Amino acid sequence: MKLERINQQEAARYMGFRGNKPDKKTQAVIDECEKALLDVINPKFVYRLFGIIPRDNGIEILGTPLFLGGKDICEHLKGCSRCVLFAATISAGVDKLLRAYEAEDMTKAVVSDCLASAAIEQVCDGVDEIVKEKLTGCYQTWRFSPGYGDLPISVQRTFLDVLNAPKLIGLNATENNILTPRKSVTAVIGISEHEISKGRRGCASCNMRNVCQFRKRGEHCGF
Amino acid sequence: MDFKRLLNSKEFVVLDGAMGTMLQAKGLEMGGTPEALNIDKPDWLTDIHRQYIEAGSDIVYANTFGANRFKLKKCGYTVQQVIPAAIENARKACEDTDTLVALDIGPIGQLLEPTGTFTFEEAYDVYKEQIVAGSSADLIVFETMTDLYELKAAVLAARENSSLPILCTMTFEENMRTFTGVSISSMALTLEGLGVDAVGVNCSLGPKELYPVVEELCKWTNLPVIVKPNAGLPDPVTNEYDCTPEEFTEFAEKLIPLGVRILGGCCGTDPDYIRKLSEMLKGKKRVNIIHSIPAACCSATHTVEIDQPRIIGERINPTGKKRFKEALLSNDIDYILGQAIEQVHAGADILDVNVGLPGIDEKAMMVKAVKALQGVVDVPLQIDSTIPEVLEAALRVYNGKPIVNSVNAENGSIEKVLPLVKKYGAAVVGLTLDENGIPKTADKRFELAEKILNKALEYGIRKEDVYIDCLTLTASAEQEGVMETVNALERVKNELGLKTVLGVSNISFGLPNRELVSHNFLMMALTKGLDLPIINPNVDAMTGAVRSYKLLANIDKNSADYIAHYGGNNKATAEADQKTDIDLPYAIENGLKKEGRDITAELLKEHEPMYIINELLIPALDKAGDQFETGKIFLPQLIQTAGVAQTCFEVIKNYILSTGEKTVSKGKIILATVKGDIHDIGKNIVKVLLENYGYDVIDLGKDVDYQTVVDCAIENEVHLVGLSALMTTTLVSMENTVKLLRENNVDCRIFVGGAVVTPEYAEQIGADFYAKDAKESVDIARKFFGN
Repeated sequence: MKLERINQQEAARYMGFRGNKPDKKTQAVIDECEKALLDVINPKFVYRLFGIIPRDNGIEILGTPLFLGGKDICEHLKGCSRCVLFAATISAGVDKLLRAYEAEDMTKAVVSDCLASAAIEQVCDGVDEIVKEKLTGCYQTWRFSPGYGDLPISVQRTFLDVLNAPKLIGLNATENNILTPRKSVTAVIGISEHEISKGRRGCASCNMRNVCQFRKRGEHCGF
Repeated sequence: MDFKRLLNSKEFVVLDGAMGTMLQAKGLEMGGTPEALNIDKPDWLTDIHRQYIEAGSDIVYANTFGANRFKLKKCGYTVQQVIPAAIENARKACEDTDTLVALDIGPIGQLLEPTGTFTFEEAYDVYKEQIVAGSSADLIVFETMTDLYELKAAVLAARENSSLPILCTMTFEENMRTFTGVSISSMALTLEGLGVDAVGVNCSLGPKELYPVVEELCKWTNLPVIVKPNAGLPDPVTNEYDCTPEEFTEFAEKLIPLGVRILGGCCGTDPDYIRKLSEMLKGKKRVNIIHSIPAACCSATHTVEIDQPRIIGERINPTGKKRFKEALLSNDIDYILGQAIEQVHAGADILDVNVGLPGIDEKAMMVKAVKALQGVVDVPLQIDSTIPEVLEAALRVYNGKPIVNSVNAENGSIEKVLPLVKKYGAAVVGLTLDENGIPKTADKRFELAEKILNKALEYGIRKEDVYIDCLTLTASAEQEGVMETVNALERVKNELGLKTVLGVSNISFGLPNRELVSHNFLMMALTKGLDLPIINPNVDAMTGAVRSYKLLANIDKNSADYIAHYGGNNKATAEADQKTDIDLPYAIENGLKKEGRDITAELLKEHEPMYIINELLIPALDKAGDQFETGKIFLPQLIQTAGVAQTCFEVIKNYILSTGEKTVSKGKIILATVKGDIHDIGKNIVKVLLENYGYDVIDLGKDVDYQTVVDCAIENEVHLVGLSALMTTTLVSMENTVKLLRENNVDCRIFVGGAVVTPEYAEQIGADFYAKDAKESVDIARKFFGN
């Protein structure tokens, strides 16, 4: 997968422009940073399809030691017979560029941070599409990540190991379960042979709802 | 049998194939801990090893890839239980054969700083434990490595805690780099310097795709080269590899003419692959090619070949710089990083790093500076200190092959410095002086250069790694010495065939129009063969002299580099503004850094620093803050204005330091991103704003221990502490930090902020203030200090 452009509009939303068009000077910074980022972004992803067994307090992922605990993941995978686990990253070169910008110019650092967040989302959307193509005839849920709702973030390490992500895409987690490189995502996509309702996605199922910067501004993150 | 005899007695050495693939076939579940099977299913292991031995493996890897304290946590066994058991299983399979058993060690599974939170020193300890536990193996293999820094910690741990041979293989992608960006030349230069016994590649790709990687590697090393490819590329859904044993062997055969001597298989391979491989190798002769490895130094990602003049930036050095000294005294690493980035943008190929200053712990500061610098710049570093302990500390933590500045011809210096250069595989600058000082004549200096070279060779340092500095004297004081320097340089270059280095700026000290003299001296030296001018790259005349020399000397082909720098297009900088009569508030409001700097310098001729800060800077910032709060401008713009104000402050600071007045400080504030959290961009925004309002910020960085905050507050008598956290999982660290501050009765107020922090939470954990954004942090500070 190769990113040709970064979704600037989405990045501007992360920067807090609330739908306003960035001023000329900021726009120049955005363009410059996008170019620098595209040079270092190295999108990598890995995904696999697993059978699942729903239990009372979570989901068992067949053939692995992974257990996804919590009510929310059960709700998310309701009606699904299988799931895709995936992990994606835009790689460590981005972390280095962000560090260098922080030392050089905070404006570039903030702008690049938001652009990089938009970029990893684009990569995830790309993976979504690839899964869709591979599993034609199936229906899939949106992406649910460790840390959402009551799915504990402590599953992160085993999640990565099941996908062999450290070896295959260089993605790791710290002892506090923060993904490194920083601009990375792990997520679960439910797979069903029957159509599934997509209405659940939104603020109600998000554990960030009380502190969400978008909500504070009366906006919506698109989740 | 041992590894060296094996290597000498056979044309090729055959390794084994995949372990994980075989274990999964036997029933290991995905994501399980394969190393636990050494104890739970020893028969599985002995059987797998035996299959590989029967297929022709000369070395089998014990099942210890992830047997470190960190990864074993999941299964409950210790390193001391698992590793000896694994080696024992392999030994059992090897009975009555000459097959060797390797202690196999993979990545820890934690990214090292600065991308991760694991330190170099912690990584060393993890590896040391494995190496000590695996002392009964015949050799040590580090494989599937993607971070050269982690691998360096591993190699040092092996060399310092074992005498077994060391084999290293890293994992490259088709773009010829590892996941962390390590280049092939950097790997080869660094590992050969560290004294490993063989080097190579494994995993990620098949033998076909690895061809260009191996080809490049063979150019950069004369060590035995290892290739252990995957069975082609895997299908993402079925996880099946696309290369049959026959195809695998066919492509592997093509690697032999490149000089490969050690072969095996990685993911997806099994005994069939190894059998075919070993049959193919039977009766074949290895190809011995001796490459001349060029003079070069490197970071993990970037190699600088000394095949043409390369600029060493001299600005990271406190000598004669009050602002730099102040930065060192106040632990201000960001200032040093800023100096580094500026020089790289200006054209420095290598950066000299000198942080020696009376009153500071030079060793600690050097380690801190080297770690921080290599986290943000790609250029290699030249480690500059007169103290061997400082040099060694820096050499340990440097990620790549650095230059040591310096050794001289005194026996004491040679005996202390050269062993370090050898052990850590650096290049070294040799100064042509000894206990009698700097010789007057070129001939004498040449003799000292020769002595340094011969001593270096005795220590086993390559000739290509010795760079001689014939020493620049000040023309105003010792005019007759100038040509002696130049002539000595010419002889060293031509007669000894060594690379030359020269600090250029000294030449013009005490003369008017220094640039003119320095510039001409540089041109003279370049013509005589200077390879490494040490200059201030920010002075365009100097950097330009090197660029134009390269053009004239037919090094810069088609003047490409020269035109890229001076070819008109880059004149239209983003800061160019048509308006001419701008004032400071305008410059700040419009994000005009250069103008802000110039206007501040002008204003200082007529106004007091405090007037400029209070009457011009702060009102402009306040205005931007108001506009931000009311949604007229947005975060990037607010930070832009802060960036200009920061530049203005820098000018004022320099001015105050030069006049010897006390610095302007409206109060000291500690900022920290709490333990476990590595997202600190928000904190850094707060820092910039606070500094702009005249506060002294002690930035403890990210992932900060609770105790560090307490100690810092007490030691520096700071009464306002700001804490940030971005993750729900690290909020508890914020609470713990607050608790520890209170338990220690630290006389301070605490403000907290960050994406997941709420006013309620702030109150609940006993913080004094909640800051919803950077602007509010400033309001809190103003209220607290009453200014």
